Amino acid sequence: MTKVVIDPITRIEGHLRITCTVENGKVTDAWNTATMFRGFEIFMKNRDPKGIWQFAQRICGVCPTPHAFNSVRAVETAMGMDKMPDSARLIRNMMEATQLGYDHILWFYQLNGFDYVNVPNALNANPTTPSLKAVQAQVKAIVDSGQLGPFANMYWEHPGYKLPPDMDLEITAHYLQALEIQQKACDAGAMLGGRYPMINNYVPGGVTQMPGIEEIEYYKSQMADIKAFIDTVMVPDLLAIAPYYLDLATFGKGVGNFLTWGVLDEKSQDPYDRLFPRGGIFDGKLELQKADLNEVRQYTKHSWYDDGVGAGKHPLDVGQEPINFTKMPPIDGEALPEGKYDWTQAVRYGKEDRPMEVGPLAQVLVAYLSGRPEVKKLVDDTLAAVGQAGNPAVLLSNLGRVAARVIKAKVNSDNALRWADELLDNIGKGETNIYNELDFSKDGTGQSGWDAPRGALAHYTKIKGSKIDTYAAVPPSNWNLSPRDDKGVRGPVEEALVGTPVADPTKPLEILRTVHTFDP
Amino acid sequence: MEHEEMSLFPGLSRRDFLKTCGALAAVIGLSGPMAAPKVANALQQLAKRPSIVWSCFQECLGCSVNLLQSRKPGPANLILQQISLDYHEAVMAAAGSQAKKSFHEIVDSKDFYYIVEGGIATGIPDACTIGGMTSMEMCKDAYQKAKATIAIGTCACYGGIQAAKPNPTGSKGVTAFLKENAGISNPTVINSPRCPGNADDTVAILLYAIVNKKLPELDDLGRPKFLFGQLVHDNCERRGHFDAGEFVEQFGDQGSDNGWCLYKVGCKGPVAYAPCPKTRWNANVSWPVAAGGPCIGCSEPEFWDKQSPFYEKAPGIRLPGDITPTQVGVALGAATAVGIGAHFVGQAATGRLFKGAPVEGKEEDTGSKEGGK
Repeated sequence: MTKVVIDPITRIEGHLRITCTVENGKVTDAWNTATMFRGFEIFMKNRDPKGIWQFAQRICGVCPTPHAFNSVRAVETAMGMDKMPDSARLIRNMMEATQLGYDHILWFYQLNGFDYVNVPNALNANPTTPSLKAVQAQVKAIVDSGQLGPFANMYWEHPGYKLPPDMDLEITAHYLQALEIQQKACDAGAMLGGRYPMINNYVPGGVTQMPGIEEIEYYKSQMADIKAFIDTVMVPDLLAIAPYYLDLATFGKGVGNFLTWGVLDEKSQDPYDRLFPRGGIFDGKLELQKADLNEVRQYTKHSWYDDGVGAGKHPLDVGQEPINFTKMPPIDGEALPEGKYDWTQAVRYGKEDRPMEVGPLAQVLVAYLSGRPEVKKLVDDTLAAVGQAGNPAVLLSNLGRVAARVIKAKVNSDNALRWADELLDNIGKGETNIYNELDFSKDGTGQSGWDAPRGALAHYTKIKGSKIDTYAAVPPSNWNLSPRDDKGVRGPVEEALVGTPVADPTKPLEILRTVHTFDP
Repeated sequence: MEHEEMSLFPGLSRRDFLKTCGALAAVIGLSGPMAAPKVANALQQLAKRPSIVWSCFQECLGCSVNLLQSRKPGPANLILQQISLDYHEAVMAAAGSQAKKSFHEIVDSKDFYYIVEGGIATGIPDACTIGGMTSMEMCKDAYQKAKATIAIGTCACYGGIQAAKPNPTGSKGVTAFLKENAGISNPTVINSPRCPGNADDTVAILLYAIVNKKLPELDDLGRPKFLFGQLVHDNCERRGHFDAGEFVEQFGDQGSDNGWCLYKVGCKGPVAYAPCPKTRWNANVSWPVAAGGPCIGCSEPEFWDKQSPFYEKAPGIRLPGDITPTQVGVALGAATAVGIGAHFVGQAATGRLFKGAPVEGKEEDTGSKEGGK
């Protein structure tokens, strides 16, 4: 048995260590350790509920918008505002579309790309177009300079890199293009929200102002460029790369339970009617189940909090204190993590305490089972393209996670202009209310579930005496990167790692691949 | 081939290089026909591209996401051609021990600029570890070996959000950590606050240091005066409405549609020193006040405690009539540096700020303007 520790896991948001045992070329056990803690729920207590969303969106600077949404919605529902003004709904959808627009592109190329695309191998390509020649010259100059920057010290000689040189060059070119293109979505978000990241146009009760027609048109033009990139570059890249990496379908299956709260509200504001609807899938059976925000439970036996803090409690009943840090598991030596080994609490669902995978695969599978025609078509087309027509179960794998993110990016960009057009319709009809003043003098409890790009995100709050009495956020990484629960059941990433092949334990590229498919 | 001529900046033609230098010159306030050649000359004298080690500690990655929103130059050009981003956990291909190898190689070479994003966990050191090293160990080591250290974003400058009361992990900004926990009595750290930290600020500071071969003049909070010398309020496009007594009373009202002043719904522009209304954000498309939301004062230390509640009026401000912008600051204890206020109001009046290089080393410019401590 060989112990393999990767710390830091790079190309993610946050700080993560993965510890695995490897035997006979396969991962036999795995532990994930979040190595950073900030204490949001602690310092959010006793604050002004109207401004609490400004704190909440700083939980994640990569995905501030869904945190902002859930925070204002949790406060709104606590104060008895069941529905958003319709034009506020559309503006929030537009903001979310910009978030999704940049985020999935960034993940596909910048965060995930180096696991499959061998940048130095692009020097062996024989490009014919001036633009590809220029990119190759740029790569050559970087390599020749000896200052490899972000490309330094990677396992480029690993046999797991399968693309021919021409394709390595082309995707490297798209990596550079994606860096510029993602700005289009962020600019659109900034135009409406003031800046990106950390927007400024949300407030409990609605949004701060109605954008002008020129701003709405700017958004449309930017998001049309995002759609063009996804349609003409990112989707073709997925289909071009996939045949070289079909082995990705054979590992990384995970727990087989999927959860999404849904994202992007239609006019009904019914979470089961969202563009990506709410729902769950249990025990690997591709059947649609309901998903209830109050069935979320947290456990702390293996996390650095006192054991009684979680122990199967609803998020609002879990105190983040008292913190009970014991010791970071050692990197070197034979010792494996035991007892407490994670700053993340174990999040489980329902009385069965199921660990749930969240993320685009959950979102796409639930939309597929909910009968969303465009998602169904894209999934079926993708399956056909990889020679798996009629076999959606093959998506329960690393391949499925990668493909689902691209499908999700496409569906989002296909619909991004629709929200703007509906808003223009509302303006034409004089339906311009974007804000309802809330009465903060009463006490109440509220909650909101609305997925972040990387998966199910929910916020819960109890407001008492016009102050935040309790606040709880359950972000997607708390689901996917759950440690073992009190019964010893592994979290989704831990489970997905088991069985991952490792050709060379000193160069654990395959482990990185499985971890990155979760966008942890 | 053209790119060989400019081998320091891979793949960039001479013409594009000069064009980039022209844009960069404007970023640090150089103008006139010699601006681009001055920048070009400084960059060409470098033996290699400036190496950057970027540490992410207790952060949300928002500052890095904003780095990817840089325009002068754009991110691909910036990361690969202008600088060598040798260590950044969210960007680099290598992971685990290979990533640690990159960190130690560059840091031990002592030939790098150090940029820190996020707070340093000093109360619970293990609340932030990377490769088994705590943020305290990494930050001290890299600071001591770097050519210059820039704290990007309010967390790295002053502790930021995780330092909000009761600061569960004892999070601190780089300067406070070095002074109070690392035994470095007088550290030199350039603070570039705001939440998120702004990419164009970072580029401007780096370039300033490279071109002028010295660090920019800093205010008492460690911020470059050429960027953080003025109140948001002084340059706000809605300032005329403040002076005219025209206020948004509630979001979505007529005043909101008219773009009136947000002071009554909580704007902290009168107490925050930042260039937002001048440089705006994300390719200058907008800024927080233009989106109809009040400024939350994110460039100021401890703004999470001191500038909140964010949607309630900042206390102690006399409303329009006979008040000057500097007095507004004084009323809040924010601009006890009347000298600074006056100096920069003067600069704004003569149009020098952001057009001419800042005047350096003037003793009268340095006064305390602690944000309401």
